[in-house]
Amino acid sequence: MADKNFNAFQMAQTQFDNAADILSLDEPTRQLLREPLREYHFSIPVKMDDGTTKIFKGFRVQHNDASGPCKGGIRFHPQETVDTVKALAMWMTWKCAVVGIPLGGGKGGVICDPHNLSMREQEQICRGWVRQMARNVGPLNDVPAPDVMTSAQHMLWMLDEFETIKGAKYPGFITGKPVGLGGSLGRTEATGYGVVFTLREALKQLKIRPEDTTASIQGFGNVSQYALQLYTMLGGKVICVSCWDQKDKKAYSFRKKSGITFEELISITDKFGGIDKTKASKLGYEILDAEAWIEQDVDILIPAALENQVRADNAVKISNKVKIIAEGANGPTTPEADKIIKEKGIFLIPDFLANAGGVTCSYFEQVQSNMNYFWEKDEVLSKLDYIMTAAFNAVNELAKERNLYMRDAAYIISIRRVAQACKDRGWT
Amino acid sequence: MSPNTKNIHSLVHELEERAKELNCIYSIEDYLNDPVLLAEEKYIAVVNAIPGGFQFPEITRVRIVAGSRSYESENFSESRIFIKSDISVNDTEYGSITVYYTKETPQLDEGPFLKEEKKLLSSIADRLRNFIRHEESKTILHNLKEIKDISEEESEGSWRIVIEMLNKTDPVLYKTILRKLLHHLCWNDIKEAIDFLTSTSSETKTTEEKNPLEENKPIKRKILDTREYEETILSMTGKYMKDDEIIEKIQKWITDDKISNLVKAVENYNTSLQVISEILRKHYKIALEKNEVSTSIDKGLRVSLLRRFFTEQIDYITTAKEHVDLEDFYDLIDRIIFTPESHGKLGGKSAGLFLASNILKKSIKGNPLLKNVKVPKTWYIPSDGIIQFLQYNNLEEVIEQKYKEIEEIRREYHHIIQIFKNSSFPPEMVKGLSVALDDLGDKPLIVRSSSLLEDQVGAAFSGKYKSLFIANTGTKAERLNALMDAIAEVYASTFSPDPIEYRAERGLLDFHEEMGIMIQQVVGERIGDYFFPSFAGVAFSNNEFRWSPRIKREDGLIRMVAGLGTRAVDRLSDDYPVLIAPGQPNLRVNITFEDILRYSPQKIDVINLGRNEFQTMDAAELLGEIGEAYPGINNIISLAQENHLVTPIGFVHEDFHDDVVITFEGLVKNTEFIKRVNLILKILQEKTGAPVDIEFASDGIDFYMLQCRPQSKTRETAPDPSPRDIPADRILFSANKYISNGKVPEITHVVYVDPGSYYELESREELLDVGRAIGRLNKLLPKRQFILMGPGRWGSRGDIKLGVNVTYSDINNTAMLIEVARKKGNYVPDLSFGTHFFQDLVEASIRYLPLYPDDNGNAFNELFLMRSENIFKELMPEFPELGKVVKVIDVPKVKDGMILRVLVNADFDEAVAFFSVPSLTPERNYEESGVTETRPADHWKWRFKMAEQIARQVNPSLYGIKGMYVLGSTKNATAGPGSDIDLLVHIGHYGDRIEELKLWLEGWSLCLSEMNYIRTGYKTSGLLDVHFVTDADITNKTSWAAKINAVTDAAKPLQMKNP
Repeated sequence: MADKNFNAFQMAQTQFDNAADILSLDEPTRQLLREPLREYHFSIPVKMDDGTTKIFKGFRVQHNDASGPCKGGIRFHPQETVDTVKALAMWMTWKCAVVGIPLGGGKGGVICDPHNLSMREQEQICRGWVRQMARNVGPLNDVPAPDVMTSAQHMLWMLDEFETIKGAKYPGFITGKPVGLGGSLGRTEATGYGVVFTLREALKQLKIRPEDTTASIQGFGNVSQYALQLYTMLGGKVICVSCWDQKDKKAYSFRKKSGITFEELISITDKFGGIDKTKASKLGYEILDAEAWIEQDVDILIPAALENQVRADNAVKISNKVKIIAEGANGPTTPEADKIIKEKGIFLIPDFLANAGGVTCSYFEQVQSNMNYFWEKDEVLSKLDYIMTAAFNAVNELAKERNLYMRDAAYIISIRRVAQACKDRGWT
Repeated sequence: MSPNTKNIHSLVHELEERAKELNCIYSIEDYLNDPVLLAEEKYIAVVNAIPGGFQFPEITRVRIVAGSRSYESENFSESRIFIKSDISVNDTEYGSITVYYTKETPQLDEGPFLKEEKKLLSSIADRLRNFIRHEESKTILHNLKEIKDISEEESEGSWRIVIEMLNKTDPVLYKTILRKLLHHLCWNDIKEAIDFLTSTSSETKTTEEKNPLEENKPIKRKILDTREYEETILSMTGKYMKDDEIIEKIQKWITDDKISNLVKAVENYNTSLQVISEILRKHYKIALEKNEVSTSIDKGLRVSLLRRFFTEQIDYITTAKEHVDLEDFYDLIDRIIFTPESHGKLGGKSAGLFLASNILKKSIKGNPLLKNVKVPKTWYIPSDGIIQFLQYNNLEEVIEQKYKEIEEIRREYHHIIQIFKNSSFPPEMVKGLSVALDDLGDKPLIVRSSSLLEDQVGAAFSGKYKSLFIANTGTKAERLNALMDAIAEVYASTFSPDPIEYRAERGLLDFHEEMGIMIQQVVGERIGDYFFPSFAGVAFSNNEFRWSPRIKREDGLIRMVAGLGTRAVDRLSDDYPVLIAPGQPNLRVNITFEDILRYSPQKIDVINLGRNEFQTMDAAELLGEIGEAYPGINNIISLAQENHLVTPIGFVHEDFHDDVVITFEGLVKNTEFIKRVNLILKILQEKTGAPVDIEFASDGIDFYMLQCRPQSKTRETAPDPSPRDIPADRILFSANKYISNGKVPEITHVVYVDPGSYYELESREELLDVGRAIGRLNKLLPKRQFILMGPGRWGSRGDIKLGVNVTYSDINNTAMLIEVARKKGNYVPDLSFGTHFFQDLVEASIRYLPLYPDDNGNAFNELFLMRSENIFKELMPEFPELGKVVKVIDVPKVKDGMILRVLVNADFDEAVAFFSVPSLTPERNYEESGVTETRPADHWKWRFKMAEQIARQVNPSLYGIKGMYVLGSTKNATAGPGSDIDLLVHIGHYGDRIEELKLWLEGWSLCLSEMNYIRTGYKTSGLLDVHFVTDADITNKTSWAAKINAVTDAAKPLQMKNP
């Protein structure tokens, strides 16, 4: 394939190189961190339902474990390339490092299309994957999690196979398990709450009281629902929420200038985060265009839907009143929009940091599983608060100190942490 | 008194009389069906009920003579003013009803009696005849039991008792048997018999022929009287034959005798269905022991019966005769509502169900899976019922409705519905329906049409006529009225514009359309106020929507939902049924937790018995309300726990409401349901020789089959022709793998994402831009007239190099989604089969096609795609760099007015797309449920006129309107009966006035929708789809604004008042 093709791993490396330049990282550390520590490629033979045997290709990439066991999902994907998996493993390293949890980065997968597989066949793939990898993974080496096309069910099959091979119970081997089978409480709230914990700290920095702020949120899935809940609990007022309308196949913004409460909005929302337009009208919501959420005269914008939602064309419409953008979604802002946001002097909490509540909660799941003792939800969430606050402050301080854009600061801090761990261990 | 009021008075009087008559019939019905009353008490009650049905009850007296008994009404006295109706049973006069007036009354139709009263009386006599027969059969059964008891004790001589019984029940047959016994003895060279025969034969024969009915009267004979004659034969028989032999002979003769009558009757086209049924019934009663009839008579008879009751279609008869027995007809005739003259047939639906249910019944042996397969109780009205209904109400001129202009038919259709609903049914039908209701009980019913044309053209006709649910609650009279109301409405749908238009287009107008009716019990259970089955759906032998290459076409397809099956039968725009391939039940469409949730059914159709209506309910709401009482709940739902779905074990706990998802996981995993459906489909396909399409429902315990027809008759999935003679230079592409049937409209635009250039894009941003550009094109290009062709997997999310990153809303207007798998080295990428939005494609009838251009034998005209004029840049100036990746080709423009035609044929596993002249036959609209044929001229012209009206009437200066445009199907002249009207309003800016304008347009929208309903019978919630664009939008060419002055498919400006 031609070199100039889009390649996720090359992109991740370029990103790393830029940060490494800023950090003036030495060559051996650069070389170490530019590539994964270990890569496993293996074959998984599976007896199919029709009696034939098919061989599936499996991967596991352990990018870096200087800070602790690798952590990262297992993807089922029909045309998985090792380059994608390598890039994702590297990003996992930085993601764990930015919140300062003692885990490294990993990622794995199997080339397959679950649409063409029965559940039994998928179970065989999961068990086959573990049989091949059992000696190289485990609660103390590498901890898998659900990812594209894999779910709690797949994790339980893998856990069961692992425990069978090891002849003992190791609930900390894998995360993403259901509550009651080694899962953690608070997972549903974690990401949304995490966004607001960092938002709260950002407001503190800007010396604004949450009670005096208004916000507009894009999306009404898990993240935005709990962000809305916690933010209003802090005294803030959400006046606009946009959401996808499955029936009309388009999004709408729902505005209520007097303020939206979590309970009210959730009462007219279906389980996919779709808001009932008629009921909303009755409750006094204005129903506006999909893009209206970004144009509101608010202090805070929380894009918490999909990637590439804040673009050059709509970033110009952001009100001058907006002071903070907290990225609840993954990659909601395009590079062009980033420039506009910088020019406008808006304080940005990058996705990397803002939505790290999820990975932090996975870490908690693993900790609880390892000691086989499970916390109450409040305990999970208060520990989450502690970690998110600390992470925000570290990034923010670096940004101020070095006059860096928050996005760059977050990236640099995580690379520095990993590099430091490698050095401390005497690797480079 | 003016003549006018006099007329009204007499009218009111007439109506009162009619009501009295009906009331009288109902109360008689009630008495006769009363399980408590003794037969005698019933007669007395009936005698006293009759006067109420006549004009002057106070002077009306009644006498019923039944056999040796007679019953008289209160204060009975005879008079010379009377009418009389005889009651004959089994061809003998059994009794009579006489109605007397004790005083003189004015002379009317027939003496002092009304025509209707005469009719009433004969209906009552008829009803009594049935009653008497029923009572008699009870006695016979009782007697037979006694015989059985006796013969168990002492078998010797028991044949005498049988013969005696025969003498009592069927004297004619008795005579015949005696004669046959005599002949038998003669053939066996019994001298005594031969002598006796010669001495008597001539004499008795002639007497018999002369007056066969007067057997019991003594006739003087030369030698012997009847009794002696009979005794002689009987004693000879006893002397020369063994008991067993006699019994066996008698049995055979009885059967043969009856059969011969039946054969004669059935083959005579003048015999009415009712007569055939009666003979059949008689035959069956006596031929209790089967397998006695010779096979050739039997087969011939079955063929004739099939022809008389169902269809002349040779295919059907050939198949059906192998699978149905006389016995099956016997079961059938008891559930047919005849009028005496009926010569009609039961129609296509009934024929399909009759055949399928009998095939399955006979396959139970060796297939324990079929044990719980049932057919709900069904009653039938033959096809000429509608004619009798029309004649009875003097509505014959309605038949000529079909020759009127379609516009006129449209206008008049809702009047016809009203007229039909206010007409009455002939008394025989009322009576029949009343009996049917007693048999069907008070479960809700569905009244289905079973048309004869369905047989003729198969095809799209199935969906044309109405099927109506009725709650069937209230008093008997209320229930009967509701039932008649529903039948009238179904009858009226014969004259609705849609099917007439369809027939006109195919030259079928002169075909004499008659419509049979099926009245079927709705499967289900009452829970609270709601009535519904646990689940229901449709299943097909051939799967035309395959979501994985591992699913073979023969693996079939089930579409199922919780509650009534209506939501599975129709394509839904706002909900999804669960799809399962019964041959590969483990390969599911939706894999991830999110997709399973997103595409799970959200609504349930039920019958609300409290409100007497059909109702669509929110699934979560209904399940929350009735919870565990829902039949078979554990087989239907899964519980979403965080990101994990579990099938409930044992009981469902109280946190029931939010996390319940309809998945049918329990049904698939823990029951034999899938195996059963698969087996049923296989058996039916094998025995009928063609793939089938069945409708089913389950009450949570049993499997009910509701309908069965050949799948090829479902218009939408019929294979296209697969022409071999298309010149190579006309072909754009061809395919020969994973082809599914489905109609593709004529294509005017091709959107092609070139795989090579796509893979070469350098940044993720550019790759994402391709998806965005497709989303915009989707809005710009004419709906369902373009195809999307792209590399690999449409809708890729993570690794978007595998395919263009789009969501369903970015492609929802395409006619066909094509995935191109180009070989890379020696590796061909896997295609997605549309799985990222599979169920959306299915519900919108967007076809999917995988292309393997590098496979042997496949054509792929890459040159055309790459070198033809590409209008992408003009359409999408905002993506200047993507012109080399995305090609948009206006086919008529580059091909001299030709369009692209895509033909698919799954039977041959072939598809081909080629350039061709646009067809002159009307373009069809495939969006609506089922397949709706339209004459676009009417639909778009009317819409266009209305759009012009709106534009002329709006006040541009008041609202700041700068221009109005029409676009989409109305502009493109492709609008169907259910299409909306797309209006584009160009305004200066969004101001307060716009809300007013929106309101004004909303008013128009609702009115137009209502008008459209009257015109076409299509219900929509508003007909206008209004889009507002501002100056800024036009400058930026954002979304709809790009349509104004567009390069292709531009919006058409409408004339307005001068601003």
